[in-house]
Formats: sequence, structure tokens, C-alpha cells
Amino acid sequence: MRIIPKEVETLWTLFTAPVIWAGHFLACYALAAIWCAKRGDLGFAVVQAGIVAMTLAALAMIVLSGWLAWRQWGFGTNDPPHDDPSATDRNLFQGFATLLLCGLSFVAVLYVALPLLFIDGCSS
Amino acid sequence: MAIAGGFIWLTVIGLLVHATRHERTPIDERIASRLIFWGGAAIPSLLLFLLLGYALWLMPGLRPFARAGEANGLRIEVTGEQFWWRVAYHPADGGVPILSANEIRLPVGERVEFLLKSTDVIHSFWIPALGGKMDMIPGRVNRLSLLATKPGTYRGPCAEYCGTSHALMTFTAVAMQPAAFGEWLAVRANPSPGASLPGRDIFLRNGCGACHRVAGTQAEGGVGPDLSHMGSRGTIGAGVLPTDDEAVRSFIAHPHLIKPGSKMPDFNMLPQQDIAEIASWLKGLE
Amino acid sequence: MTTLKARIKRNALPSAEKIEEEQLRLVWKTPIGWRYWTSVNNTQVGLWYGGAAFAFMLFGGVLALLVRTQLAVPRNNFLSADFYNQAFTLHGTVMMFLFAVPIFEAVAIFLLPPMLGARELPFPRLGAFGFWSFLIGGVFVCGSIFFDAAPSSGWFMYPPLATDKAYSGIGADIWLLGLSFIEVASIAAAVELIVGIMKCRAPGMRINLMPLFAWYLLIVAGMILFAFPPLIAGDILFEMQRMFDWPFFDPTRGGDPLLWQHLFWIFGHPEVYIIFLPAIALMAMIVPTFSQRPIVGYSWIVLAAVGTGFLSFGLWVHHMFATGLPQISLAFFSAASEAVAIPTGVQIFVFIATMLAGRVIFSVPMLFGAGGLAIFVIGGLTGVMVALVPFDWQAHDTYFIVAHLHYVLIGGMLFPLVAGVYYYYPLINARILSPRLGRTAFWLMFAGFNVAFFPMHLSGLRGMPRRVFTYPEGIGWDWLNLISTIGAYVFAAGVLVVVFDVVRPKHREPRSEQNPWKAGTLEWLNEPEENWGVRSIPIIESRYPLWDQADLMQKVNEGAYYLRSAKENRRETLITSVLDAHPLQCQRVATSTTITIISAALLGGVFVALTFELWILALLSGIGTLSAILWWLWTGTGETPEKKTKDVGLGLRLPLYASGPDSVGWWAMFITMVGDGTAFASLIFGHFFYWTIHPDFTLGQPGPGMRWPMIALSLFVAAWVAMLGARRLNASGWIDGARVALVAAFLLTLAASAAGFAGPWQHDMQPTAHVYPAIVWILVIWALAHAAVGSVMQLYCLARSLAGRLTREHDMELHNVALYWHFMAITAVITFAVIGLFPEAM
Repeated sequence: MRIIPKEVETLWTLFTAPVIWAGHFLACYALAAIWCAKRGDLGFAVVQAGIVAMTLAALAMIVLSGWLAWRQWGFGTNDPPHDDPSATDRNLFQGFATLLLCGLSFVAVLYVALPLLFIDGCSS
Repeated sequence: MAIAGGFIWLTVIGLLVHATRHERTPIDERIASRLIFWGGAAIPSLLLFLLLGYALWLMPGLRPFARAGEANGLRIEVTGEQFWWRVAYHPADGGVPILSANEIRLPVGERVEFLLKSTDVIHSFWIPALGGKMDMIPGRVNRLSLLATKPGTYRGPCAEYCGTSHALMTFTAVAMQPAAFGEWLAVRANPSPGASLPGRDIFLRNGCGACHRVAGTQAEGGVGPDLSHMGSRGTIGAGVLPTDDEAVRSFIAHPHLIKPGSKMPDFNMLPQQDIAEIASWLKGLE
Repeated sequence: MTTLKARIKRNALPSAEKIEEEQLRLVWKTPIGWRYWTSVNNTQVGLWYGGAAFAFMLFGGVLALLVRTQLAVPRNNFLSADFYNQAFTLHGTVMMFLFAVPIFEAVAIFLLPPMLGARELPFPRLGAFGFWSFLIGGVFVCGSIFFDAAPSSGWFMYPPLATDKAYSGIGADIWLLGLSFIEVASIAAAVELIVGIMKCRAPGMRINLMPLFAWYLLIVAGMILFAFPPLIAGDILFEMQRMFDWPFFDPTRGGDPLLWQHLFWIFGHPEVYIIFLPAIALMAMIVPTFSQRPIVGYSWIVLAAVGTGFLSFGLWVHHMFATGLPQISLAFFSAASEAVAIPTGVQIFVFIATMLAGRVIFSVPMLFGAGGLAIFVIGGLTGVMVALVPFDWQAHDTYFIVAHLHYVLIGGMLFPLVAGVYYYYPLINARILSPRLGRTAFWLMFAGFNVAFFPMHLSGLRGMPRRVFTYPEGIGWDWLNLISTIGAYVFAAGVLVVVFDVVRPKHREPRSEQNPWKAGTLEWLNEPEENWGVRSIPIIESRYPLWDQADLMQKVNEGAYYLRSAKENRRETLITSVLDAHPLQCQRVATSTTITIISAALLGGVFVALTFELWILALLSGIGTLSAILWWLWTGTGETPEKKTKDVGLGLRLPLYASGPDSVGWWAMFITMVGDGTAFASLIFGHFFYWTIHPDFTLGQPGPGMRWPMIALSLFVAAWVAMLGARRLNASGWIDGARVALVAAFLLTLAASAAGFAGPWQHDMQPTAHVYPAIVWILVIWALAHAAVGSVMQLYCLARSLAGRLTREHDMELHNVALYWHFMAITAVITFAVIGLFPEAM
């Protein structure tokens, strides 16, 4: 895990988890919408399998990025508010905010996967 | 849901009001952070998750559809038009559809499938007392199944803004006992030209039949609402006025005053007497 | 008091320093007389923007009162059906497009530079151009109602009602073209704000010290960049159908009205959060001040802002729950709609936690803030309800939704905004608004609002649909509507009290202190009398520098920090690094000019002429706009400074010129092109959308073939390579080589465009016949229009090079154009691959 340095010198890492959520959301929607438009009600299991696979992949990626964020945050050894005028605190802040976003994205991915339990077809 | 919502609102606002009291002791920052985590994030996440699950669980049951091959019941095709409803009952045996307008009758206790269409702009079909709404979109056929559990007369407004007289586009849904419904439908299947009144000839002579259909006469027009059995409907003009003589007369004379933007031209150039004759003939179509 | 002391002290300064101060004052001086309107400074532009948006709000409010009066009693004939429809359409349009979004662009333009410790935003002329575009477009759209020609198809403009000339008149064109123009202004503001927040913060203001307002605005500007372009793409399809009968939404020729709904709500739902987040941002500034402590949960606010920004893009179909889409699709959007409530809840709890951890002074801004929160929470709770599909099937398009959205927008946006007006008014006029009038206004607005809108929940649940101009008596809606109307007038009275308080003359009142609320953030260094923002740009070491950095105000006012003088008579601000705000460059910013007004007026002319289908006038205005913008760029940008570096004070020397990713221009181009790419992606979405809804989406219509699209693709790639070559050669010092490469790139662009055009042309694709040729043509036209802009840029670089204004060291234009061409190449490759291979090769 040393490939990604602890000190992150970019703002983009903050958006990793929400981007994974957005990708997962769009992929689920597109898969179901295209399948329903093109294949009718046949073989909905394909959609279900696809969504399960994408959900697991998305959760795994979010957990990974959450772990990286946790590391950047020093595994919780420092409490917020991280408001010192130093690069260290700026880094800790980034780590903590990223971790929070990972949490939110994790929950949101679960929400989006929830319909799978209850809806098993394309009916409108 | 409203009660739970009210409880949450009271809790949040209570906290807020408490927070504004100047004399209280400020709480520790760590406790405040924990409040954000539990009150703002953790508890709402859980509650929303459960609520979402409940709603998703409800969904398939609320709008079940007869799968292909099972569709053997009555299907009612409703087409939205500016600003009225074209109705066709397709009997289960695939016989000739029975045409009507602005009134829908359905049997109590049987699931009825609606085919919802539009020819001009988007409308939305809704009987608030019986279930949720479904849009009628040009180029698409939407399906909706409804189950009336007790007899009654319900109001059905157009729920999607569709132009000038959107507010004046409603229909009446009448839920009847299945036997009575069957009887009603059978009567409708047989044309009834109505009493041989002078109004019928005036109606036909003035070209009303070019737009309106009255079963059993030469009036075969499909532009405007089907007027067969008009007298048996409670309202005219898609729910605008009650079906009484005066209302029918004024609608014939000045449809635009009553229903701005409707396609029907004014007929007030006809002698008052003729209008009255048409009105009483139409009202007699039952 | 501080100010007074500082002034006395300043008068006692040695004359050299006084001269320095006078010079700085002169450089930043606002023009007087009619030339006042040529100012581009953020303070004036922000105020005009805000004033105009408020005026539009009052206009929209009058329309709302007309609507409410009509609905007071059943079968009322106060308004005709048609006028009522115009009024409610315009009410929604004005409030959303001319008030809610622009007011925050206004607040941001006004507040951000002082809050970040900058003298000015990086592109003042772009900001002014945006304002003038907004004003012209807004007046055009609003004015239409006085000619009985206002749009009347609802603010959502659903086809076919709005696209078919049989159902809607010129109002639809006015809506579409007037607002497209305003959308351009919004995107311009977004570019300006993003670059400003990322690159113009005071030295030391690391991202963990940035004021929360800036965090919110950064996210909001990013959202504008992804939300508005789909609407612009939709507008293009829409107007092509209205003007030239291309059948994008006509189902008889393969189109589909639902595509518009997708594009509109991909814009429309994020829009709600684009409106809401900046209001919450104001609360995030107000709450700490009156709790007398730093915010608790700074990172949580960042989480909430970013989280909401993303999640809000996954909600759009919840406006389409009744359109008959598969339930599984609805369910995904229902899930995301529930999830977005989490970050929203976090924000509310951050405020409560901050207040609990501090000692609250319950002032007028807090009153409005708390009242707004109480209203907003109700709107949020009903939002959670309507996000559930089964509930929405009942509530959709009823007055329940009207109640919900007003609770959200008025509680979540208008009340915090008024709180912001009361809070920040001293920065405009150095006076405090009357607390007594403020409290009166609050209680009128709060009571009036609830009386007006709470009953609407009930009328909605009783089956009252939206957008009805009348209703029959005796079905349980009568007295609910009457109460709503009475409440609306009480609410309006409250708004009038606020307006009166703001506009009443106050020159006799004593001047307020420089920081009357004892706030901790940097904007309170600003003095309304001075146009320079801050006397000197400080070094920041805290989230609340005025609380934590001793004597900061005094030292700033004494000119103890950076850029205390303007020796070269130029307006300057500092450019710093994104994460840690290390000073990087001294940026010279533009001064007063008429070119922004001229450009906006000419561009407005294009849109107005198009509305009335005056093709010649549109063409002439278009040429005029292009010339004006080229002149603006030629004379106003890319200037070669007289020296390489400059002493900015405190012993720091900074370069005066930057190109490539170090320059703000490069960032602006990048951000603009991201927005542009989003619009393009929306068109591509349209292409595949049509594919999904038809078994064979070409319906036997001819395609463009494979040959020409592939040739066009290759030539565009070659043009891109030549463009990159030109930049490289110029950087290596071989200027002639660079010029040759530019000419080659230009010629390749022309050839590529011709090849792109040849595909659909040679195969005689008729765009009015079916949606397949129409969407192919639109994609080709999009690519070719971008190629045309790209070729103008190539010629511009060539001309700059020949004129000696583009040299080896001063090559920002080449960098920016090369960046444009990266996006151009992506656009071309995707366009021609899609039309040439899909479904052609299948």
C-alpha cells in the first residue's frame, strides 16, 4: 500500500468514493433500463447478477479508499478540528473528510442496491 | 408517517430552541461532535434505510400486472385529448370495443387494466380515491391496474399540465357492482339512437356528426367526445358542468367561454330554439 | 471604532505611505457618472447582480399573488385561463432562473474576494459580461408578459405541449432562447468562482482553513458545470424542433417526449441543491459568529456539501415516477433520493451542535436562520415522503408538492438569504438594518408563509392537482385555498418590510463599526468606502483570523502585508496554490470597460433575433459578437508584462506572467470545457436513448456511412497532433516551425470539417424525416461548430505570434488552445465513432 503516498498532494482524492457511488448508480440504472427496453421480462437474473457484482465491487473499492483515507488521517490518532496552519493538519483534514465521504458513499451504495431485494422484473 | 415526521420535527426544533437559550452552559465540543454523528448521520441513515425498504417492498404489490397470456379481463383504453378523455371498453372476448367519453365505469372487486394513451400532449390519468397516477404520453402506451373495493362515484382530474384548460379536464369514475356493470355494458353495446326528437335532425343537419359520434345514428365523427348515452353521464364538457338543459345549451352556444382552448367552434349562430332542441335530444340519450 | 482609530492613525502616516495609499485607491477607483456602469469590479457587479435578482424576485412575487388571488375562491374569473397559465409559468421560471441561482452568483461575486482575502476575482470582465447577459435575458423573458406573449407551458416546458407550434406560441421560444442566454451567464459565473476559490485565496489559507462559504460555493459552481449543460443540450434539440421541425420529441417520427424530461430534470434536480447549498453556506458563516465560537464539525460540512453535490445528480427520475418507467428504475432513484437526506441532516445537526457548544446571541440574522430551519425541516420531511415511489404516485403533481417545494425553497433558501442580507448589509453600506423592522418582517413572513403553504399539503392530499386556474366548489378545497391566499398576502407584507428596510435612506444614521457582529472571518476587513477589497493582503493562519490573529485588522489596514501599493498603476491580486495557498504569481486583473456590455448586448441580439426568426439580424449580431469577443481577448488578455517579476512586499518576488496549468486562464479553459463536454455527453446520451426505445432506431433511414466519418475522425486527430506540435515547437524556440504547424492544423481542421459534413450530406440524410438522421446531424453540427471555434483559435494564435504578442516565454494562448484541442479531439473521436460505427457497423 506504499504505492499511494500518505501525504496526498491533490484535492481529487476527496471525490474518489462519491465518484465510485456515481459510477455504480449509473451502471445499475443503465443495465436495468437497457435490459428492460431491449429484452422485456426475460432473464432478469442477468440484471440481478450484474447489480450484485457491481455492488460488491463498488463496496470493495470504497472500503479500500476508506482505508487509505483512514491511514491519511493517522488511523484516528488525531481528533478534529484540524485547523492548524500546517501541511500536516491540512493532510489530516483531507484524510478525515475523505473518510466521512467514504462512509456516506458506502451507505448510499447499499441504498441503491436495496431495490434488488424487492423488485424482480421490468414491470412499470 | 406524518406522526413520525411531526415527532422528528419537534425533536429538531426543540434542540434548536434549547440551543438559542443564552443562559445555558455550553456543551463540550466532543459531545457536540457526537451529536452530529448520531443525530445527523447514523440515526437518519438507519431510519431512512428501513423506510426505503418498506416502500420498495410495497411497490410491486401496488401495481401488479397480468403477465402476458393472463390478460383475460376487461381492459379499458383511455386516451387523453386536449381537454377530455376518450374511453374504449375492450371486452374480454375481443369483441367490438364500446366507445364512450369523460366517464369511466368499472366493476367493484375486479382488477381492471387500463391502457393509457395520448394523441396530442402529455396528460396524466388519476383517480385519487382508487390509486396513484400514471402519465399518458404521446407515442407510448402506459398500463395501470386499479381495483375498486366499494361502489361509488369518484372524481378523476388530469394531473399533468396539458394546456389552457388543464383545470377543466376531469372525468367521473363510477364503481358498480359487477352484475350492474355487466348489464350497463351490455346496454352500451347496443346502439340507441335516442328518441326521435327534432333535435336529432338539427344535430345531424348542422354537421355536429363530423366531430361527434352518437351510436346508432349517422354521426360517426371521432374528433370530439363520443356523445352516445350522454344523458346518462353526470357532467358535460369533461366534468365542467352538470348535465342539465341550461348547461348543455350554453356549452353548444359558447364552448370557449366555458372551456377556453377547446377545439369546438361556437354555435351561437344557430337559433336559440334549435340549440334547445339539440340539448334536450342529447340529454335524453340514456 | 477600530476604523476611526485606524483612520486617525493613517492620517498621521508619513507622506510617502500616504501617497502609496492614495495611488492604490486611485487604481481601484470606481468610475463616476455614466461610466459607473462600465465598472467590472466585483463589488459593483455583485451589487448590481443582487439588485437585479431581487427585482426579479419581487416581480415573480407579484405573479404569485396574482395566482393566489385567482385561486382564492372557486370558479373565480379574476384572471383568464391563458393569463393564469402565463403567470404561473413565469413565476416558476423567474424564481428559479432569475432569482434563486443568480442571487447566489451575486452574493458569491460580492463576498468571495474579501472572504478569501483577494482583491478581485480572476476574471472581472467575465463576471460583468455574465451580469449584463443575465440582465438582458431576464428583462426579455419577463417583459414578454406585458405583450401577452409570455411562455405558458409550465417552467418545465414539456414537449409536445411546448414544442408543437399548434399548442404553444412564441412564449416558448422566448423562454428557451432567453434562458439559454442566462445559462451561459451562469456557466461564466461558475468558471469565475471555481478558479477564484482554488487559486486566489490569501497566502496561508490552506483548504482546511478555507471559510465554509467558499467550500460550498466551490461545490455549487462544480454542480452548475455538470447540471446546466444537459439543459443547454436539451434546449438545442428543443429549438431545432420548434424552428426547423426536427422531430426529437415527436413520437410519430421516432422522437420521444421523455428525452426532454430526462435532460430537463438532470438539470432540474441538482438545480434545487444549487439553490439550497449557498443559502446553507450563509448559515455556516452566520451561526459561528452568533454562537461566538468556531463551527463544530468543519469536516462534516465538507462531507455534506460534497455528498449532496454528488447524490443530487442521482435524483432526477423522481420527477418522473408517474411516466411508466420500469419500477426497478424508479427504485434506484427513490433510493438515491432517500440517501441525499443524510448529508442534509448532517448540516442541520452541525448548526445545532455549534450553537449548543457556544453562547448564542439571538439577533435578527439568527432569527431568520432558525425560522428558515424550522420551515426547511418540514420540507425535508415531506421530501423524504415524496421520494418514496408509492407515496409519490398519489402526491405527484398535486398541491402537496407545491407545499413541499415551497417549504424547501423558502425555508432553505429565502429565509437564510434574508438572514444574510441582515448580516452582511454593513458591508454594503456601513449601516446596520433595523432590528425592529427585521423582527416585524420575520414574524409576518414566518406566520404568513405557514398560513399560506401548510394548508396546501391538505388540499394536495385531497386531490387538488397543480397548475389549475380554477376549481369547482364543494369538493373540500374551498376554505383551504382561501386561507392560503390570505397567508400569501401576509407573507408578501413581510417581504415588503424587508425591502423597505433595505432601501430606506440611512445616511443620517451613525456609521457602524468595521466588524459590527464581532465575526471571525476575513470579509469583515472590508470597508464599503474602499473599492480595493483589503488595504493589504494578509497571511492567514486560522479559520477565524479576526478572532485568532491578534491585531490582524490593524496590520492589514496599515498595509503591513502583501500588495500594499500599486506602483505600476495596475490592479493586482495574488495567485496561490490550490492546497496550501503558497503565493505563486501576481495576477493583473482587468479594469472598467464597455466591451463587456457591448459583447453581452450583441450576444443578446443573437438570441432575440433567433426568437423572432430574423435570420439576417441574428447572423449580423453573431458576427458582431465574435468580433467584440476577439477584440476583448486581443486587447485585454495575454498581455506581456513590462518585467518578469515584481516585489509584492514582505521581501517576496513573484512572477507577473504564467502560462499552462500555472495560469488562471488555463484553469478557466479546462473548467469551461468540462461543462462543454457535459453538454456533448448529453447529446450522446440522446443518441443512445433513441436506440433503446426503438427495436430498430434507424427505421431504414440511410446513415452517414463509415467512410466519411472515419476520414473526419482521422483528420481531426491529425489537426490535434499538429496543434500540439505547434505548442511544442514554439516552446522549443523554433517560432517559424510553430507557425507552419498552426497553418497545417488550421487546414486539417477545415478538411476534417468538410469530411464530417460529407457523411450525412452524401447519404442524403433528411433531418425532418426521422429522429435518426436528426440526431446524427446534431452531433455532426456540434462537432463542426466546435471545429469552427477551434480554427478561429488557431488563427488567433497565428496572428498573436505574427504580431509578436505570442513568444517563446509568453505562450499562454497556445497552451489554452492546445487544451481546447484535447477536448475537441475527444469530441470529434466520439462523434464520428458513434455515428460511423453505431449503428452503421452493426
